[in-house]
Amino acid sequence: MATTASIHAHAAPQGFIRKYIFSLDHKVIGLQYYFLALTAVFVGMFLSLLMRIHLIWPQVSLPLVGEIKPETYLSLLTMHGTIMVFFVLTTAPQGGFGNYFLPIQVGAPDMAFPVLNMLSFWTTFIAFVTIIAAFFVTGGAPLHGWTGYAPLSALPNSGPGEQLGADLWVASIALFCIASLMGALNFITTTLDLRAKGMTLMRMPLTCWSWFITAILGLLAFGVLLSAGILLLLDRNLGTSFYVPLVVVNGQVMGHKGGSPLLWQHLFWFFGHPEVYIAILPGMGVTSQVISTFSRKPIFGYKAMAYALMAIGLLGFMVWGHHMFMSGMSPYSAFAFSIMTMAIGVPSAIKTFNWLGTLWGGRIRLQTPMLFAIGFVSLFVSGGLSGPFLAQPVLDIPLHDTYFVVGHFHLIMGVAAIFGIFAATYYWFPKMFGRMMNERLGQIHFFITLAGTYAIFMPMHYLGLAGQTRRYSQFTEVAYQTKLIPLQTFMTYAAFVTIGVQLVFLFNLFWSMFKGPKASDNPWEATTLEWTTATPPPHDNFGGRTPVVYHGPYEYGVPGAARDYIMQTDPATVPSH
Amino acid sequence: MSDVAVQHGVAAAGVYEPSLFGTYSKKIGMWLFLLSDSLTFGALLFAYSYGRISTPNWPTPFHSESIRNATLMTAFLLTSSLTMVLAVRAAVFGNAKAQRWWLLATMACGTAFVILHGREWSKLIAEGLTLPMFPAVPGHEAAAEYKNVAETVPQFPATFFGLTGMHMLHVTLGVIYLGIIALRKKFIPVLLGLWLVAWLATPDYSPFHYGAHVLLISAVVAAIVLWLRPKVYDSADVEVAGLYWHFVDLVWMFIFPLVYLMSTRIIRS
Amino acid sequence: MNDATQLALEQGVAEQHRHHGKAQFFWVWGALLVMTGMEVYLGYQNMEPVRMLSMLMGLSLLKAGLIIAYFMHMKFEISRMKWLTMSSLLVCLSLMCIFFPDAFRILSLGAR
Repeated sequence: MATTASIHAHAAPQGFIRKYIFSLDHKVIGLQYYFLALTAVFVGMFLSLLMRIHLIWPQVSLPLVGEIKPETYLSLLTMHGTIMVFFVLTTAPQGGFGNYFLPIQVGAPDMAFPVLNMLSFWTTFIAFVTIIAAFFVTGGAPLHGWTGYAPLSALPNSGPGEQLGADLWVASIALFCIASLMGALNFITTTLDLRAKGMTLMRMPLTCWSWFITAILGLLAFGVLLSAGILLLLDRNLGTSFYVPLVVVNGQVMGHKGGSPLLWQHLFWFFGHPEVYIAILPGMGVTSQVISTFSRKPIFGYKAMAYALMAIGLLGFMVWGHHMFMSGMSPYSAFAFSIMTMAIGVPSAIKTFNWLGTLWGGRIRLQTPMLFAIGFVSLFVSGGLSGPFLAQPVLDIPLHDTYFVVGHFHLIMGVAAIFGIFAATYYWFPKMFGRMMNERLGQIHFFITLAGTYAIFMPMHYLGLAGQTRRYSQFTEVAYQTKLIPLQTFMTYAAFVTIGVQLVFLFNLFWSMFKGPKASDNPWEATTLEWTTATPPPHDNFGGRTPVVYHGPYEYGVPGAARDYIMQTDPATVPSH
Repeated sequence: MSDVAVQHGVAAAGVYEPSLFGTYSKKIGMWLFLLSDSLTFGALLFAYSYGRISTPNWPTPFHSESIRNATLMTAFLLTSSLTMVLAVRAAVFGNAKAQRWWLLATMACGTAFVILHGREWSKLIAEGLTLPMFPAVPGHEAAAEYKNVAETVPQFPATFFGLTGMHMLHVTLGVIYLGIIALRKKFIPVLLGLWLVAWLATPDYSPFHYGAHVLLISAVVAAIVLWLRPKVYDSADVEVAGLYWHFVDLVWMFIFPLVYLMSTRIIRS
Repeated sequence: MNDATQLALEQGVAEQHRHHGKAQFFWVWGALLVMTGMEVYLGYQNMEPVRMLSMLMGLSLLKAGLIIAYFMHMKFEISRMKWLTMSSLLVCLSLMCIFFPDAFRILSLGAR
């Protein structure tokens, strides 16, 4: 029995390896995750650039990949999706910022299980290396898409990339599941057990709520993907037929029978839909935090925001079938899934209106984090509004295999989550590195990125309605598709500009890390616990003491207070909300 | 698995908010892991049920010999749960010697389970209930009956080996986990010895010939963890290990009826 | 002696208290063995598969309940932990039943 509270049992580590490589400090691990995601995002972006170039100049031979054949295009698409979804959208907001700031924001000296945290990062790292290795093996990277649909993914001879590359892909996903599982149980335990005195659940910043709910989703979802992946490995390597019915490949009858590709889709999307929320929820949390801080107003409807997060988490488990309307799923289940999917619009709308309500009448400071938070809301609404269309089987069936879906999920899950990451980066950079980022470069980055993402992804909706199919590498053969190429050309030019301006961000990040002006402990005049400690925070976060919390997280503009904000640790007697 | 720097018992109530689950972090962490793991097993069992529903004429080939063996395995596993709970009890009362002996008894029961199960696998494979990629067993004529099952309903051996294999892996890891708790670094040479025996004593057509490397990998991981965090395991660690062990037992309570008892060979009217 | 030590001692005593009844573990073990025996007996009865399945699963759930409550001490945890962990698990597992309509459909669609 844990009889003593041996708080913070691990001393500050000595030596390079224990300090920066196998560090047990959640802050170092958070940064490791962040830089892993940064590497991954540039790999993923490069792959998307290759695809966009190929779509408008099909004959051009490209650097590193040479001539792009249709199957090469599918490999690019698969690897872009997998790397972006797993190693960027899941890794950066949760593994990176969550790891760094969850313990500080709840007032804990570290995560509940530091060794597990370290193992979680290194497992993720091995998973990343494994998936990158898929590029370099015989046959190259897999072509089954990030969803890995069977039987394409389950048969080793179904395509050039489906040999060793696909095995590495499955192995990488399985490793990533294990890593996320270790991370998730760490997050949940830390939130349940290590909140400082006074930090009740309803005083937690909404960022903590979102990391907490995300961790619960990850805990319950990744286990299912793990078993799906194990069965896929068995199908591929031991000749079982979980996902493969009697099939004929290139006129050859395969030795499989009796399986069902629908089983894979069910198991995958049972994980896959919660995964969408795993990517977006931390962005919602950061947006709430930033909008409240830079509007100098308490967040509108704090409790509604927390309950909406829970509702989204719960409903997120009940809607996976809306990815499968095209699959031949039972129409009765499709009906149920459609209803639940519509229902999820309610908590999402609550969140949106509460963000707008927070902005309303605030004394808004339009600094870069705030810009990106507002950008998040904008993208979330634009991407979300096409959701109800796709939630209905009748509309989804004609739209599903077109660019409409690509535009929808890139806006709401891809770029919106990325904007959340940017907002978090600009907001917490001073705390992480002790320096400020350049404001002017930040604004340039924001405006061009916002315009660029809309220029790339909005036309996709029109392309989809016009019937342009997704996953095709060329559109030169069919007349009605050829007529849409000018719009594709426009999108590719927009992609050049948007990707170019990310280099400005990269420059700003590294330049400010070393040359930026020194940051004070609380440059944004924010109220949560991370701004009460030194910059950057000491090894045990609060320099040997454990903070005591007296207030809710968003006490801005309280009447009768000395300043326009009250820190959570401020024992002042102003009545708390 | 169970390693904490920041322990928070009820005793730390003065510094932190009381734990939402009213217990210490390690136990919460293990319960959360078990939730996730039960969904992993749950998904496998649902995949099995899915295959079984969608296959007309699911075979029911298990002879009474197999059922007797599986019942004996179940009894071993249930008994190991009893010894485990007695080990936890000894740990709570501070009786280190009793704790170690009960843990060793638990490991013995677990090992017996794995060995019985492994023998059954080998027998079934030799008789023709096998997966397409398992090498043929030389000098052994496959029984027509099992061979027929494997050919007409490939889902049957696939789900059998998939489910019980995953469970066997969990039992094996559980025995290793308990061994580390009971004997700490003294267990690593034992583990390496077991690995050598398991690897060299099995013929190269047996799946266990390769499966034995799980022991080697575990030995390496255990050595790293013990090097990073050398410590004496207290009663909380024993209790948390016990949770894992009971969970493995619990999963078998579902696999046994679903996989074996629903496929017994009886004459149905 | 400060508060923390006092609390720790009380907690230790409470911990020993709930492990006190050694006999109950033997009773639970016996009940589990008996139920296993019943399951094996049921496995040899001549009845419809669905009926047999529901009886076997009923017994298995009972066994799982006993293991969770007594061997895993869930009976002695606070109610919030009991409800939150068990309900989230049950919700997720029940949701997977949505797979089954598709499994039944395969039979009628004629795809083998």
